[in-house]
Amino acid sequence: MGKKKRGHPDVEELLARPWCYYCERDFEDLKLLISHQKAKHFKCDRCGKRLNTAGGLSVHMNQVHKESLDKVENALPNRQGLDIEIFGMEGVPDDIVQQHNQRIITNFYTAQAERHAATGNPPPGQAGGQGPAKKIKIETPEELKKRLADHRAKVAAIKANGGVLPVPVVAPKAQPASVSPVTGQSPAQGASPFPPPQPGFPYPPPVGVPGAFPPPGQPGVVGAYPPVYPPPGATPTPPGAPGGPGFNLPARPTGGALPQRPPYYNNYNGGAVPPPGAYPGGASTVDELVSGAARQGGGGAQGDEIDQLIRAAEQGSKAPARAGEDSAGGEKKGKSKDKNMRMVYGDSEVSPEEKMALLPRYAVSAA
Amino acid sequence: MAPSTQFEVSQPPSDAISAVIFAPDNTNRLLVSSWDRNVYLYEIAEGTEDATLINKFEHRAPVLDVCFGANGNEAYTASLDCSVKRIDLSTGEQTVLSTHEKPVRCVVYSPQHSMLISASWDHTLHVHNTSAPASTPITISLPGKPHALAASPSKVVVAMTARLVHIYDLPTLATALSSADSASANITPWQQRESSLKFLTRAVACMPNDAGYATSSIEGRVAVEWFEDTAESQARKYAFKCHRQTAPEEEGGGDVVYPVNALTFHPVYGTFASGGGDGTVALWDAEAKRRMRQYQKFPDSVAALAFSNNGKYLAIGVCRGFETDMEDFNSEGRTKVFIRELGETEAKGKGPK
Repeated sequence: MGKKKRGHPDVEELLARPWCYYCERDFEDLKLLISHQKAKHFKCDRCGKRLNTAGGLSVHMNQVHKESLDKVENALPNRQGLDIEIFGMEGVPDDIVQQHNQRIITNFYTAQAERHAATGNPPPGQAGGQGPAKKIKIETPEELKKRLADHRAKVAAIKANGGVLPVPVVAPKAQPASVSPVTGQSPAQGASPFPPPQPGFPYPPPVGVPGAFPPPGQPGVVGAYPPVYPPPGATPTPPGAPGGPGFNLPARPTGGALPQRPPYYNNYNGGAVPPPGAYPGGASTVDELVSGAARQGGGGAQGDEIDQLIRAAEQGSKAPARAGEDSAGGEKKGKSKDKNMRMVYGDSEVSPEEKMALLPRYAVSAA
Repeated sequence: MAPSTQFEVSQPPSDAISAVIFAPDNTNRLLVSSWDRNVYLYEIAEGTEDATLINKFEHRAPVLDVCFGANGNEAYTASLDCSVKRIDLSTGEQTVLSTHEKPVRCVVYSPQHSMLISASWDHTLHVHNTSAPASTPITISLPGKPHALAASPSKVVVAMTARLVHIYDLPTLATALSSADSASANITPWQQRESSLKFLTRAVACMPNDAGYATSSIEGRVAVEWFEDTAESQARKYAFKCHRQTAPEEEGGGDVVYPVNALTFHPVYGTFASGGGDGTVALWDAEAKRRMRQYQKFPDSVAALAFSNNGKYLAIGVCRGFETDMEDFNSEGRTKVFIRELGETEAKGKGPK
């Protein structure tokens, strides 16, 4: 995501848009916002006069129509108060501004994730089960390292530009549980809209998406490590940082069955190659990689779906994770269907009057 | 919006309200019938925000409905003691027009045909010729128990149990009445319909332009239909949900659905108001299918509504609502009548969008 994409604005542009305190709508410019507020929130429903502020409307209602205004029309339920004087963007309380920005950021990333899902591209620095399953491609550790460094450089460049990109990376289980100190965290980190990476489901970066690389998750440790953002300008990864994209891949440097990595990765040589020692725990030894690969399910397999299934079965932990997800989805569905309704008067045969007529107090006085 | 153009009448009935209605010729005069066995006559003092009690007319039993007759000095009542009465409002003289076998639920007067129609739980309608009070009324038997009755200039709509709706043609009834042989057997409804609402009909109101009517049910819904029996007109009918509240999460969430107790059309603009058990009154634009206004919540259930003949006032009868399994029903001290003076264009629809 080095370049701005046409068609959808980036976060800064979204955050810079003026928005309405009362209904959270955002506008192209301040003029439009003010005319919106006059038409929707500060318009007198008696005579149609458009006032500049809620206070102005209140005074108008009092003086002209002898009525009192108790809330702002068309406002969100918690924003109807007259106590805050709003004009355009002026007067919006700081905490509300914060809330709004947070919402914009969250929405932005959600939309971004949706775009990625729609195009089939994985979000930068992310892989996972949200895209269509594609063939697994296998890389050698060297290539992986190279690509990782490449990616880091790009992310760093984005950070330096002031961009905010959540890059949650999960450290592999086999590594010592030391995580680099986190610098330059994105504000959206805590609310990252992306699901955790699907364990054991390395997602190949499609051709033409620079900077994307597959950080595989390790079953059982998903979420155990906080997502880490590369510090700005840090090209070589600090020791102990989760650099393990390659470790879980079924890559076996030895063995004739090792498939060749797709050629397009050879184009990735713009970034600096980090020193071998930069990898956590010095895990760049062939043995470690092999064991990682073996854990992943025998390695050396061509990444077709059958193999994935076999691996999943061998691993045993992927299936439960999936099942959990499914059941959660099911619950949600059930809840939305279960809409209970309570009728204050439920008798569809006998009217309330007939029941009232039966009450002793309404008995017809004998005459 | 707390309107200062809304006020409470000073001496409200002491028990639940069954109906409110404005006089046809005097827009400051209104009648309120109550379960406390009285019919109250109020008059709004011109230019002030006060309605004073002019008189009250005691009955032997709770009064279930009231309507004005040809003028503001004549009223008809439906009572739990099975009688349909005429009241001379100036003298207070009461005369029994007819007696049903069971309590009389509704009365409606057609000024165009000088006819009074009463509906009773004995499954009959009585059609009275009010210009000849001594004449015997025509009896029309109904397939179900009537719960609501409303008249337009040429039709009368009867809503019954089992979701039955019968529409009678008033000129036909008038002819039958004038033929005077009390041939009660061979009067058939002009139209027989099934209610568009799945639950018990609560109220019916006819459009002042004679084009159609609205019904409401105990299940927070209102339906708008047209009289004209063409596919085109029938396709225009619709129903919508209203008078509901979202229950708080701790009570299990979902919707609390209130009965829609009252409907009334604005005589000038053809928009209508609905009043529900949730204590709110909403103004609807039947043509544009939009809600125009919802007034601030009233302290109790809205039992009855009426626009004055010129559309200037809206009377709102508020009392404790009767809910399922209620044995200690008592609306004493909680019954109020509000009069809202409407702004010039308050009830005017914006037209279809």
